Amino acid sequence: MSELSSRRVLTDASRLIIEAAVRAGANVFVGYPITPANWLYHYATQRFPTTLPATDEITTLQWMAGFATAGKFPVTATSFPGFALMVESVNMAYMMELPMLIVLVQRLGPSTGSATTGAQGDLLLLRGVISGGYPLPVFSPSNFEDCWELTGRAVAASLQMRTPVVLLTSKEMVMTSRSFDLSRLPDIQQAAWPEYRSANGYLPYRAKPAEPPPFLPVGNRQHQVRINASTHDASGLIRKATPEALANTRRLQEKIEAGMQKHMLFDYHAAPGSDTLLVTYGVTAEAARDAIRRLREHGRAISLLVVKTLLPFPPEALAILRRYARVLIAEENLSGLLRELIYGQMTPASVLGVNKIGKLISPEDIVAGYEKLSSMPSNPNSEAQGGKRS
Amino acid sequence: MSTKTTNLLTDMKMPFCPGCGYHLSTRVLARAIEKAGIHPLDVVVVSDIGCCGLIDGLLRAHTVHGLHGRAAALAFGIAHGLADASKKVIAIQGDGGATIGLQHLLEAARRNVDMTLLVHNNMVYGMTGGQVSGLSPEPVKDRKMPDEKDIPPFDVVELARAAGAAYSGRIIERGDYTDVLVEAIQTPGFSLLEIVGPCPAHGIGKIKDIAGMALQDVTYRSDREPHVAPRRETHSLFSQLRSVKVDFQANLQGRFSLIVAGSAGEGVQSAADLLANAGVASGLHATKKGDYPVTVGTGFSIAEVILSSEEIHHTGIEQPDMAIIVSEDGLSMMKNRLTDTRILLDAALSWPDAPGSVASLPFRKTAGGKGAALCAIAHWLRQENLLPVEALQQAAAQHKLADRFLGIIEKAKTLAGS
Ligand code: SF4
Ligand SMILES: [Mg+2]
Repeated sequence: MSELSSRRVLTDASRLIIEAAVRAGANVFVGYPITPANWLYHYATQRFPTTLPATDEITTLQWMAGFATAGKFPVTATSFPGFALMVESVNMAYMMELPMLIVLVQRLGPSTGSATTGAQGDLLLLRGVISGGYPLPVFSPSNFEDCWELTGRAVAASLQMRTPVVLLTSKEMVMTSRSFDLSRLPDIQQAAWPEYRSANGYLPYRAKPAEPPPFLPVGNRQHQVRINASTHDASGLIRKATPEALANTRRLQEKIEAGMQKHMLFDYHAAPGSDTLLVTYGVTAEAARDAIRRLREHGRAISLLVVKTLLPFPPEALAILRRYARVLIAEENLSGLLRELIYGQMTPASVLGVNKIGKLISPEDIVAGYEKLSSMPSNPNSEAQGGKRS
Repeated sequence: MSTKTTNLLTDMKMPFCPGCGYHLSTRVLARAIEKAGIHPLDVVVVSDIGCCGLIDGLLRAHTVHGLHGRAAALAFGIAHGLADASKKVIAIQGDGGATIGLQHLLEAARRNVDMTLLVHNNMVYGMTGGQVSGLSPEPVKDRKMPDEKDIPPFDVVELARAAGAAYSGRIIERGDYTDVLVEAIQTPGFSLLEIVGPCPAHGIGKIKDIAGMALQDVTYRSDREPHVAPRRETHSLFSQLRSVKVDFQANLQGRFSLIVAGSAGEGVQSAADLLANAGVASGLHATKKGDYPVTVGTGFSIAEVILSSEEIHHTGIEQPDMAIIVSEDGLSMMKNRLTDTRILLDAALSWPDAPGSVASLPFRKTAGGKGAALCAIAHWLRQENLLPVEALQQAAAQHKLADRFLGIIEKAKTLAGS
């Protein structure tokens, strides 16, 4: 980028997220006050063509779903206490196949916890939030550029797959200002629904395998549209578990698995000769970048994997993990949610978590974790040790 | 399906119990749509959970079937999303759904969104076994749940009226009430029509004193204009951001972190913002964040600023290179936080066993409580020239409170050593 075209400003990431969402085609924001998502709401009132203040969290999601059936793209921003109340309605939108973006700004829990303290405590909630374990796409920005790009990506993916999508971030990302060169930001294309164009008869849930059905808004004069949150057939009518209705429900999983293949995002920096991989996501990635640099300055080679598509978890990221004899996973929670997402209850001895609450994980924390991990046994089955990919 | 038909009903057999009022109400709805000359595809029916939610398949209209109690909120979103007076959004729920979603009903009425809500009050949760709802009259409760019999039911008609509905009415489901329904549907704004007809499957209709339930036909009208959600032309949020040109030169290699600790409402955050801006104008990278209690107008206010000649990733500060403390609120927060750092302390504060080196100066006395933080920053820059104080002045000059801020920076000169 030339000096001439640089545009250095001080900005916070809430501004980037809202601007990106609108440029990607989002046009309705339904908000209600909740810390630390308030700046997003504030910017939305200035930028969205339509912003409505909802009375509560359930109303928020219901209004959003209504807007979506009419062909709008709705966005809201919340934190755990609000998201918890939205869960049934998120399931509704998932079943109805309605696109929308929920920006989930993590803060310290449990419960109302500490509203102005950051955290990374909600990953596994999102993994299990759709009853039945169906995948809900979750993107997690690891820096300001990601806040821009992943928001645009999230809106596009949401429309493309007709599904709610979550942008998982933290107080420390969206309420921090930085000097930032806006001219570094790539253009965002406006995304659109998979629209129905045929003149033939329309069935609202008739879809190709592993795809969402083409969309028509309710109220159109050409074709009857039925939208349904209960188990339903291709016509959108409620059906008890008939083979056709169950096939429709199965398609919900299949369309996300297929549709997300082109959205499997992560940054991988392989340090030559390293047998240790540092894995992280979200705001902790910033500390990881500093830690990696510090370790390199001391002659310690360590590779870095910053995961940006958290759900569904990228298979390629798993393949990278298998290459390493030692894995360090840094995240701002106590129990290691990403670690559990990857390894379940069977974390190998060669995997160590760097965990903390109430404060950002620091580069020093990660360096200390690395020192500890280096003294631990490595994984004899990893590809780095000559083991085979399972 | 023909697009010319005005018949709302499909030929599907009605799924309701024999003797259920839903047979009648479904036909009345069809008659009302036909009588009003509304094309079925101009109708969006939003159905709740419950027996009334079985109506979808009977209709040639668009249908949206959602969650228990939420039909009014879902329909609200649809009505605002369509924003087209020729489209009729009709939500249908039972007394159970209206109880669960009472807030949604009131909000739709308060905003007077252009939709119709039909509350079929059959006096119990029919589908789930005949449990009492918030709309069950006392005699029904006396029979179903005697402990509840003295609790009065909600009157949703009065509630909707009080909240601002354009139309609010009740009809006891005896004969043909097509005209009532036509008016409710045609009224611009929010219409609520409570349709009372006991659920025979749960024996409600057999209660002898049903006539004495104080439920009567009633209609309220108001000429409030319906609320239309705004569609505004907006501009890029980036257009509000001032580009910072590098006009100055900093004397910093690496990273310098600063905490400014004071009280809410005393300009701590804006002082830190000015410093961050001055840093950028001096060619540095900068980050700034605030920390405050949930009460915005009282208590502590802490700002963290990092200035660096290199790109900043991690924005946390373990121990700052310097702390500026200008009020008791700020001091009490820093006592838990600082273990070894340089401290610029307001002269009115005392911290005998402070960790690290303390310089005590009368910032509050010089520039007032609201100017102390900026005064301290200006003093420090003049002393140490991490970046030129002129950069701070330029940032202040571009602020809407330029005169005040420039005055404070000027006053800082009077401090010893400045
Ligand atoms: S249970 Fe009651 S409300 Fe439901 S269909 Fe039967 S009679 Fe009608
Ligand atoms: Mg009922």
